[in-house]
Amino acid sequence: MIADAFTPHTFLDAFGFIHHHASFLLQKTGEHLELSLAALGIALVLALPLGLWLGHRHRGLFVALSVSSLGRALPSVVLIAFGLTILGVGFWNNTAALVVLAIPPILTNAYFAIAGADRDAVEAARGMGLTEQQILTRIELPLGLPLVVAGIRISAIFVIATATIAAIAGGGGLGEVIVNQASYGLAGVVAGSLCVSALAFIAAFSLSLILRAVSPRHGRVP
Amino acid sequence: MIVAAGPVIPNFGQGSPCERSNGWFCTDWLSAHWGDTLQPALVQHVWLTLIAVGIGFAIALGLALAGFRWRLVDAQIGALADFLYTIPSLALFQLLVPFTGLTVTTVEIALVSYTLLVLYRNMVEGLRGVPADVLESARGMGLTRMQTFVRVELPLASPAILAGLRIATVSTISVATVAAFIIPKGLGEPIFIALDQNLFKTEILAAGGLAVALALFADASLALVGRAATPWSRA
Amino acid sequence: MFRKHTRRAAKAAFAISLGVALLIGLAASATAASKPTVIVGNKNFTEEFILGQLYGQALKAKGYNVQFKGSLGSSELADAAITSGKINFYPEYTGVIVQDIAKKPSPKTAAATFAAAKAFEESRGLTVFSSTPFFDTDAFGMLTSTAQKLGVKTIPDMKKVKSFSYAAFPECKTRNTCLLGLKQVYGLTQVSFIPLASISVYTLLDQGKATAGDVFSTDPQLQSSKYTVLTDTKHIFGFQNVAPVLTKALATAGGSQLASVVNAVSSKLTLDAMRAMNKAVAIDKQTPAAVASAFLKANHLK
Repeated sequence: MIADAFTPHTFLDAFGFIHHHASFLLQKTGEHLELSLAALGIALVLALPLGLWLGHRHRGLFVALSVSSLGRALPSVVLIAFGLTILGVGFWNNTAALVVLAIPPILTNAYFAIAGADRDAVEAARGMGLTEQQILTRIELPLGLPLVVAGIRISAIFVIATATIAAIAGGGGLGEVIVNQASYGLAGVVAGSLCVSALAFIAAFSLSLILRAVSPRHGRVP
Repeated sequence: MIVAAGPVIPNFGQGSPCERSNGWFCTDWLSAHWGDTLQPALVQHVWLTLIAVGIGFAIALGLALAGFRWRLVDAQIGALADFLYTIPSLALFQLLVPFTGLTVTTVEIALVSYTLLVLYRNMVEGLRGVPADVLESARGMGLTRMQTFVRVELPLASPAILAGLRIATVSTISVATVAAFIIPKGLGEPIFIALDQNLFKTEILAAGGLAVALALFADASLALVGRAATPWSRA
Repeated sequence: MFRKHTRRAAKAAFAISLGVALLIGLAASATAASKPTVIVGNKNFTEEFILGQLYGQALKAKGYNVQFKGSLGSSELADAAITSGKINFYPEYTGVIVQDIAKKPSPKTAAATFAAAKAFEESRGLTVFSSTPFFDTDAFGMLTSTAQKLGVKTIPDMKKVKSFSYAAFPECKTRNTCLLGLKQVYGLTQVSFIPLASISVYTLLDQGKATAGDVFSTDPQLQSSKYTVLTDTKHIFGFQNVAPVLTKALATAGGSQLASVVNAVSSKLTLDAMRAMNKAVAIDKQTPAAVASAFLKANHLK
């Protein structure tokens, strides 16, 4: 793919594009958000409890580390292609691919957050007669929450940025604008990209606020 | 319009039943096209990665030294790297084309940009992680600034640097698949072609599998290198 | 002293002969490098891959230095690439040049379309070589079962369908030879557009995700009874023979020699030939490069 000239004027054109196509971009942003939230939500449901529980039992360090490595090693294009081939065209093929990419940071961080909780506190709690579940929810999780939220934050940014590629498999979203330079021009590509960056920034910022809220004053902040 | 003697249409050979019915494991296609499609794509992909990581490493090292020395510089570079990372790769590739054309250069500039975030951060953190008292004793022993850097700071920072190198390499291999959108090189190219050909499963699986295998291989190799080079630290 | 003179003389002789050799070499390479470099672009679908390979390999066989830039996303982008110098040669469809790039109405014959395309390109620093015998127009395709169910045979018949979806490459949205034509010329305002950035229309048709889609008349899939094409009674799809577009600079540098090599290839590209090559790649999973090579060799163009 190539372009018309890219001048500083293109940036101004991009803002003009956003202004002219506001409702269209809003619709695309909505699709993009829908895809990202679905993927992130499913990933949270699958990975968070698992990571927390494995960390608590101090089992599966190898799994946690391998999942982390594997997650990085899976190119998004490949996953989208697999999703398309196995599930056909639709909402779910792209969602499935993004779920696979979203899981590793959540799982790994959850594991290390819980496994790394202060041993003494855990021992004391066990000595006081708390059940395993109570230890997890009342002692380990509060201590490890910053790291858990940090993992969710990484995952969210990654999913929002990667959802762009879903456009090649009919996924809609802002990727549709970025991929279609022929119709929307380079100004459109810049506009779409700015929207994606903005979305990612908002997600990261919101989660940073949550992160700050749950971090102890003088505790570990990742 | 030209009208000339009709052309000779050679027999191109029929595809095997597996190919014609779009199977997942058409071994005949694999053996026929390893040499002309899969292997060249793999080699191109390796080259794209090596160049990007090599250049990225050099630039990041220079930036890290500056960022480590001057906090203000660190804040700026960190913010820039953060921003670069949120630009979708598809967009960054297209935005570079008017400047550097439909070439490997365009792809490499984008790939290097993505490596900078990870490498820079890890290098700076690694250098910062050197305990102050170790530096004190080095100075006390009479080592010069340069000697301290080479013999003390770098080795102590190397686990973090190698960890960053590992992450950067694997993610570069991953992003390089998108490069096929701009130039017909790398493992993304067979995937895009197969997607267009009514989802030719064998090609998607083969090229995709190679990309994943390459990334895992790089990750494992660098992990081993890391362990060998810095035996005092855990992986 | 005697020896010193001899040595000096020997050195001089050596230097002179080296200089002469260099001059001869430079002169030789200068004449050899008089063949211009051809940067061949092609759009990213099967037929264009094959065409790019056909022209590129034929030129290479005749001693030209050829580079392939094969991932141009659409005609609009290919046009931008050639006008900005990123490529200097690519195969284009004459109707697309006239209707989609020049944005003029479709002429009444193939010859008129070619003339209009040539005139247009020459007004902007480009030129076109002779067109091929075969043509490949867009077509309104759907599953035969869908067509039977809806009871449609021509595109105007689609007016009676309450709403339907049409899948195509993204640039179709703004093209007279595509969605725009369907909406404005045929009055099919009830169509919803599904853009496809990378996957083929047939995938969507097979999976029932689109009612109809933009197919190409030379697609091998159309030879099976599974798919059917509705008649384009108002000829919005135009006349679409292929003509190589190239920069005037390349044409001048290459001269009549370049033209004869390229035209020789074009003259052999009949409908049957193109269909056979498309089938070999799309159905029998050969690579475009291998298919092009086999064809060129069989016709003594390589």
